[in-house]
Amino acid sequence: MNPVIGYVAIAAVTVATALIGFFGLRISRTTQDFYVASRTVRPWWNASAIGGEYLSAASVLGIAGLILLQGSGGLWFPIGYTAGYLMLLLFVAAPLRRSGAYTIPDFTGARLESLAVRRITTVLVILIGWFYIVPQLQGAALTIRITTGLPSWTGALAVAVIVGLIVAAGGMRSITFVQAFQFWLKLTAIAVPVVFLLITVGGEGGPAVDPARAFPAALGPASLDLYATASLVVALLLGTMGLPHVLVRFYTNPDGPAARRTTLIVLGLLSVFYVFPTIVGLLGRALAPELATPGEADALVLVLPGMVVGGWLGDLLTALVIAGAFGAFLSTSSGLVVSLAGVISQELAGGSVRGFRVAAILSSLVPLAVALLLEPGGLAGSVGLVFAFTASTLCPVLVLGIWWRGLTARGAIAGMLGGGLACGTAILLGPLLAAAGGAPALMLAALAQPAAWTVPLAFALTVAVSRLDRRRTPRGAERFLARLHVPEGAA
Amino acid sequence: MSGPDERPEPAPSPGPAPLPRVRVTAPRPGEPIAAPAEHPSIERSDTATVYVRSLIRSQLRLAIVCATGFVVSLGMLWLVLAAAPALDGVLLLGAPVSWLLLGFGAYPAILAFALIFLVASTRNEAGFRSLVSAGSDGGPETAGAAP
Repeated sequence: MNPVIGYVAIAAVTVATALIGFFGLRISRTTQDFYVASRTVRPWWNASAIGGEYLSAASVLGIAGLILLQGSGGLWFPIGYTAGYLMLLLFVAAPLRRSGAYTIPDFTGARLESLAVRRITTVLVILIGWFYIVPQLQGAALTIRITTGLPSWTGALAVAVIVGLIVAAGGMRSITFVQAFQFWLKLTAIAVPVVFLLITVGGEGGPAVDPARAFPAALGPASLDLYATASLVVALLLGTMGLPHVLVRFYTNPDGPAARRTTLIVLGLLSVFYVFPTIVGLLGRALAPELATPGEADALVLVLPGMVVGGWLGDLLTALVIAGAFGAFLSTSSGLVVSLAGVISQELAGGSVRGFRVAAILSSLVPLAVALLLEPGGLAGSVGLVFAFTASTLCPVLVLGIWWRGLTARGAIAGMLGGGLACGTAILLGPLLAAAGGAPALMLAALAQPAAWTVPLAFALTVAVSRLDRRRTPRGAERFLARLHVPEGAA
Repeated sequence: MSGPDERPEPAPSPGPAPLPRVRVTAPRPGEPIAAPAEHPSIERSDTATVYVRSLIRSQLRLAIVCATGFVVSLGMLWLVLAAAPALDGVLLLGAPVSWLLLGFGAYPAILAFALIFLVASTRNEAGFRSLVSAGSDGGPETAGAAP
């Protein structure tokens, strides 16, 4: 691939991001602007921004790569990523917006009137955020290596530095504009090449493809493993609502109904977007089976337009997808860094702007270190594990906190620690046992996709301990729940 | 757009004109950050509590029904694909129909359930509003007579 295309595309998207970021900076005047855009963002803007923030390396590169690598198993990922927002709409969107808190620790701490719950939630949020940034940086490393030929670490370093600087300088006011821009950039960057790919492939009668080889029945939807698929779906459905960068966006809605409308628009935007990586994945199976190796498959989206279309048009389309992919790394990482910096600075620096800046830099550097140390796995797979962890820790305390007045601080702590310990152990132990060999297949499957048993475990622990601890139900629970559910303007 | 849940803050600029922006403050750690707001409909009257509890119950029931409906329809899609492996052999635009169904078939269901929830939850809230205002108009006796 011509490295000039890569350099130009990456430079262009970085400059555009920085310009919008700093243009937004002028509008940002107060601490409140800095944190949550003062809740003045309109649903369409907000929905675009949520989409821009949510569509990460896993969505833009990982899904197509996984479909190429694993066949129809990869098709479940975009379904889960989208349906996670449905669950968020059903169970948390409006009540959480009405809670008046704006980070997850704020919410859990206030709901359960417990500093310990607040602290534990904070630690979980920071862990989840950091481990969600890591695959973004690995995606950047892959993109830089494939498109410019530079060593991988330069990509991770570039994204971490750019994101840290932009967030420390601008805060969320500019981030909202940046994210909204990023959504439309990503959609264009993948939709336009897909249209040209389809025209090229369909136009000349199409290259001779043997469907039985490209779409073998052994990888087809009928032969998927029941447990692994169900567990993945549980993780993706219930993990979304606990992601720190997702929740903080809902506080920029003016009220509960607006939060719901925003979520509906987000669902529409995501449904449209995911059509395209799916098509790229299917085309890749037919046209580029030689890319189907674990290290390279995630690059499918980047190289397919150049391979199939070719010529100057191919170069142009390649530049576009590179820009879109780089946009994805920038936007998701910056969304995460903003929410992490918000949480960290509130806990440690009393919510000052200076604390926010320091926390922003810190939140970009720690994942960078992890990304440089860890061996990169498949992008969609690593993100899937973060979803499983989130679903096993933050989802029970959020859902029960919103809907069940019997939840107690001890119950929440038991659920978060128990679920987190079980899921974390599975994630760490699974690969070790698989490498060592000799473990029963059933156990390996349960460790590889832990959500199906860790999420029920976390819910059960939370409910059981709360039941035993019934005397310590928070005194304000009744009123707090009323505040979450009573519609605005009901007097 | 100002909800009842924002804590009062000294206005940053003088003058009676309402601010277009809502002030939100960062809570200090350890401070009871979101003390329940003084909401007129959340007084400690039994009637109001009953109304609010029934609102929460109906919203939860709605959410569970929608979630179950979606999961069941997703399971049905899977059952159909698993029960009819012959679909792998039927090609549409060069790809097996089974792959296309799984790849693109779930999104309409997601959007449909989201829309159903949006409409029904708004209706639940409207019902609650009219119940509360009827209760406060009719006096405690009328309201107390409601189940």
